[in-house]
Amino acid sequence: MQVLAADPLPPTTLTSLAEVPELSCQDLAKSFAGVTVLENVSFDFYKGTVNILAGENGAGKSTILKIVSGQYHPDKGNVRVAGEPVTSFDPRHARRLGIGIVPQELAPVLDMPVYQNLFLGRELHTRTGLLDHHEMIAQSREMLGVFGIDIDPRIWMRRLSVAVMQLVEIVKTTTWGARILLLDEPTSAIPEGEADVLFEVIRKLKERCVVVYTTHRIAEMTAIGDRVVVLRDGRLTYDRSIDEVTETDIVRAMIGRSLTQLFPRKTLSDATDDPALEVRDLSVERQPPVSLTIRRGEILGIGGLRGAGRSELLEGIFGVRPSSGEVILSGKKVRRGDPVASIDAGVALVTEDRKRSGLVLTQPVLENAVLPNLERFSGLFGWFRRGQAEGVVTEIVQQTRLKSRGLDQLVETLSGGNQQKVVLAKWLSRDISVLLLDEPTRGVDVGARSEIYRIITDLAAKGMAILMVSSELEELLGISHRVLVMRRRAVVGELGVSEVASPTAPERYLRFATGMDVMELEPEEDLS
Amino acid sequence: MTQSGAETPAITEPTSGQPDGSMGSEPQPRKGRFNVSSIRAALAPRAMALVLILIVFMFTLLSPRFATVSNGQTILELASVLALLAIGQTFVILTGGIDLSVGSVVALTGVVAAKIVQGNPDMFIPAVIGGIGVGLTCGLINGTLVARFRVPSFIVTLGMMTSASGLAYYISNGSPVSNLPKNYLAISTLNLASEGGFQLKIPVVLMVVGFAVAWVILTRTAYGMRIYAVGGNSMASRIAGVRVNWVLVSAYAVSGTLAGVAGVILAARVTAGIPATGTGYELDSIAAVVVGGASLSGGVGTIGGTALGLFLIQTLNNGFDMLNISSFVQKIIKGALIVGAVYLTSRRRD
Repeated sequence: MQVLAADPLPPTTLTSLAEVPELSCQDLAKSFAGVTVLENVSFDFYKGTVNILAGENGAGKSTILKIVSGQYHPDKGNVRVAGEPVTSFDPRHARRLGIGIVPQELAPVLDMPVYQNLFLGRELHTRTGLLDHHEMIAQSREMLGVFGIDIDPRIWMRRLSVAVMQLVEIVKTTTWGARILLLDEPTSAIPEGEADVLFEVIRKLKERCVVVYTTHRIAEMTAIGDRVVVLRDGRLTYDRSIDEVTETDIVRAMIGRSLTQLFPRKTLSDATDDPALEVRDLSVERQPPVSLTIRRGEILGIGGLRGAGRSELLEGIFGVRPSSGEVILSGKKVRRGDPVASIDAGVALVTEDRKRSGLVLTQPVLENAVLPNLERFSGLFGWFRRGQAEGVVTEIVQQTRLKSRGLDQLVETLSGGNQQKVVLAKWLSRDISVLLLDEPTRGVDVGARSEIYRIITDLAAKGMAILMVSSELEELLGISHRVLVMRRRAVVGELGVSEVASPTAPERYLRFATGMDVMELEPEEDLS
Repeated sequence: MTQSGAETPAITEPTSGQPDGSMGSEPQPRKGRFNVSSIRAALAPRAMALVLILIVFMFTLLSPRFATVSNGQTILELASVLALLAIGQTFVILTGGIDLSVGSVVALTGVVAAKIVQGNPDMFIPAVIGGIGVGLTCGLINGTLVARFRVPSFIVTLGMMTSASGLAYYISNGSPVSNLPKNYLAISTLNLASEGGFQLKIPVVLMVVGFAVAWVILTRTAYGMRIYAVGGNSMASRIAGVRVNWVLVSAYAVSGTLAGVAGVILAARVTAGIPATGTGYELDSIAAVVVGGASLSGGVGTIGGTALGLFLIQTLNNGFDMLNISSFVQKIIKGALIVGAVYLTSRRRD
């Protein structure tokens, strides 16, 4: 990395007159396989500030962090650290420049004490070459103490809560002298309300470095941010100092546009007064009880932030998570805690992580598609009637427009969208009246996404009741007839049939999901 | 509308190609690796059959006694006991587990059967049923501990290996249980073929039937598909309504039962229930399964592969014996073969 004396200083902005920004990005652009994820993004962040990068999933927040921390090379544009252009995008180089990143998915060594985690990879040794536990413990205590984190460094990492683990990771990232600290959704794994200690630490940290913080919780932005930058579809749509922002503006900058043509037209037939599924006081893993009713042919969306308890609710209804309460299907109670009983009653679950719990990757399309339905295709002595199964699955493959080289292709070699169609296909070959969908389009490309929406709406049109968890606002509002919003493992709000389609729906949704006081501002007035 | 789809392809994006030529610590682009592994994957099953043919060809050239009917019968008979264990082991390994107890169960069931039938020809049927029943019981205990109580299969079957062996010694008082009646010994010696020049023994018939039945079960029945599904992804199987615990227990039960059959046969062959027999059989059976292309992480493998793996190892043993190659050298070669074969057939998994 060279220092060019003649290099011009970056353009100054209104917020700073002469000071050189600690981190400056100019005209950053990045695309993957023809899909643009960042386009002409420029910003300057100054020392001593906490800068919020806000935006929905896929807006480009993580891409920016990965460019700055050297994991990606930008297609266009440049990054400057304290005025010096970054010439090489490489994680180790970024670290030498003083850029530290705490990724969203933490990777602590759980079966090691805290102090060994803090010194991982740079352990202290005594003169004889053995580990100097004593010194490491002493230094760890000091490091944690600076941030007011009151834990014994000798405690096992596994025993800490996720929130405290997060703090330890931040301490680990900063102790080697990072001047630019990137925090990627640090609160996404922390239950709401436990983030206060984290905020304290961040306030202490900003005295000596610049903090970049991504989140989509609006309350957090105003709680610790000095500056808010909003991204939408890879473009910068909003950049203000905290005393100039209003929450309404942020929401509008994050959502911005009208719902696209991605979603099929919603129809909810009149004959849908039958409740298909009733959930009464279902308490999943001793969490607050949830009640809901879903009618035949209805798509009921469940929104909320990650960690709001949505997946747990679906898994509780289906019976892969222990729960108490009642689940009633067409008048009959379904035994709790037994997926087989749920399936027999006509409930199916499509989980969020298809690789972990949706597919047998080492098996072909056919074997995956028939798995929930083997009885139907087996004859005397359990003989598998392959021909019959092939006929049925071939039909479903055509119906879902699943693209494969044949039914014998291993599913691990399929694209994400086609894998998701296999997961859906599993349930289409048997009589299912309630489909529980958890993030049905995660990791699915845009083309396949609209096809999955079509499949979902077609199923509903045929009378299936669909309960769909989604973190994507457009999807949630685009295909659900009604939306329930969860926060802290409880249902906190509902957007009714007429409300979902109204232009104020996104804002109302975000207010429920983030816990902003709904009574304080009337949405109608704000958007007029 | 890019949403999360935009962030996902990034994972596969190689970070090479910086203008200043500095390569990160990232691995090489995956294209090259993928090609190598896909070639290996495509060749592996055929390669194993080819290697077996080559070995047979080589020994035929090197030793005039190798390619004879009687030597073929010897190979089959010696393979039969191990074959039954390897079939059971295939079931267990396909579910993602391992059964280390089969060798000890062979010893235990042999001792039990011998003890029942000792000096009393009338006890033939109770002896056979008793031996196989003890095997089944061991398998059910293994399976229950693995499935219901979530103890790792390695640990469960290691414990069973030790306990079953101890029990075999305890029952037999540490010495061979001999003086077995003729009708029991006939399990091993009876010739089912009426022609004089050709011999067909019960263990060989059981082996062939065992392979055939296992093949049908694993490739043509719903139960077989559940075995593969549970081994490939037990969570997905559970959500698809498969009774995962039942499938797991059944696999260990199959393995235990077949070990019981093998124990009954072996006691007849060596004319006594010997508590020290069967030692090392568990590793030989595992070797046959993995040489046959099965993955120890479950869900991948075939019964045909196991048969190939078994005969590869047995033919090598036999051929080396014919050539008077020392058993020490044989062991060295066998070890290298196991590792080499698994390298050839291993699939890279994300």
